[in-house]
Amino acid sequence: MSAKTCLVVDDSRMIRRVASRILKELKFETEEAENGQDAIDRCRIDMPDAILLDWNMPVMDGLDFLKELRKDPNGGKPVVVFCTAERDVMKITQALDAGADEYVMKPFDSDIIESKFFQAGLI
Amino acid sequence: MRGALSLNPTYYEALKRLTLELAGVNLGADHAFLIETRLATLSRKEGFESLDNMVEELFNTGQNRLAVQVVSSLLERDTHFYTDRASFDKLEDIIIPALYPSRKSGKIRIISFGCSSGQEPYCIAMALDKAKDKFPDVTFEIVGVDYPSSALDRAKAGRYTHFDVQRGLPIRDLVTYFDRQSEDWVIKKSIRDTVTFKETHLLSNLDALGQFDVVVFRNALPHYSSPAQIRVLRGLSTLVKPLGYLLLGTDEALNHINYGFDTLARQPNIFRRREEKVVIIEDPNIKKPTDRKTFEKAKRRLKDMGDVKAPKSA
Repeated sequence: MSAKTCLVVDDSRMIRRVASRILKELKFETEEAENGQDAIDRCRIDMPDAILLDWNMPVMDGLDFLKELRKDPNGGKPVVVFCTAERDVMKITQALDAGADEYVMKPFDSDIIESKFFQAGLI
Repeated sequence: MRGALSLNPTYYEALKRLTLELAGVNLGADHAFLIETRLATLSRKEGFESLDNMVEELFNTGQNRLAVQVVSSLLERDTHFYTDRASFDKLEDIIIPALYPSRKSGKIRIISFGCSSGQEPYCIAMALDKAKDKFPDVTFEIVGVDYPSSALDRAKAGRYTHFDVQRGLPIRDLVTYFDRQSEDWVIKKSIRDTVTFKETHLLSNLDALGQFDVVVFRNALPHYSSPAQIRVLRGLSTLVKPLGYLLLGTDEALNHINYGFDTLARQPNIFRRREEKVVIIEDPNIKKPTDRKTFEKAKRRLKDMGDVKAPKSA
């Protein structure tokens, strides 16, 4: 059985690296995108099993990306886990309403990522 | 200068013995770091200059209050929301549906035994709130019990950190059942009001707690010594109403003694108490739960060990 794939979307190179390292330990194959538009382009080529998604990014933010993704005929497939510094309940609700499956509040550690991916049925 | 672990080794052994005497729990070799870190915090809180000073005071003056605090600190468990989900789900999927027909228009009493910082009883309350349409006309009373400790104080406050609420708790439960207060998350009053917390020594006489339809005691049994496991399970058996249930953690069992329970078919960690009065044949080699002064006994043993004097300060 092939490994699950996860696209890590964040404008911070450091966050992308840390998250990718954690996900590789959880046996995911990872790809990285630095904003929502970059992520959309990558999803149209190869839809991942999971997306770890930042909110505030240049060009296209995470929420707009998610709305765009869910409009795609294959865009319902990936499990989307937001990973953002936004902690306001209204923001979290907005993300869930747009189709997010789980939500990580930064700062995070490997236990949190593992727990959230477990909650989302990915592991 | 000593290594990473600075506590006098004699005191370390004495603390292990005290914990075994007072709580029936074996602290393994891997607990050395835990003993240092947890007791260092307690010693600062109690105003001692050093950890050795506090332990010296404990064994030289025999303060029962301090002994209980020390042991409670050592036994605080790092618990998560929805720990051991497989066994947790059996409460809603198997036990409550089995009890429901006979408890309709009444109350189902559930006790979370060894609840630490309260995640388990609050998870029970949240799960039953979500399932309320499946179980109409019944009210749930949930009680969390543990040693008096700072963990139990946190449980009573229902306040959890950013990290606590991201371990095991689905995001939809967080936004539904918690309010954000500054950097923390506080369980909503509607859920907190369905849970009460009680401070109880788990090896003491439990009669004052009354009887429950369900006793939940998960993932704690392996920490107890064999004689203490028997005392704890015997105590728990008296808490369960006839035809009520005991739920243990995944892969946990009663080990050779049935305590008046039957195991459910294909559910090795769910036990149903028999209807008839439970008669437990006493083993003269097993200690009974009494209010005996266990600390005094621990002190005597320490004296027998000889050297309980504090090391000279450097």
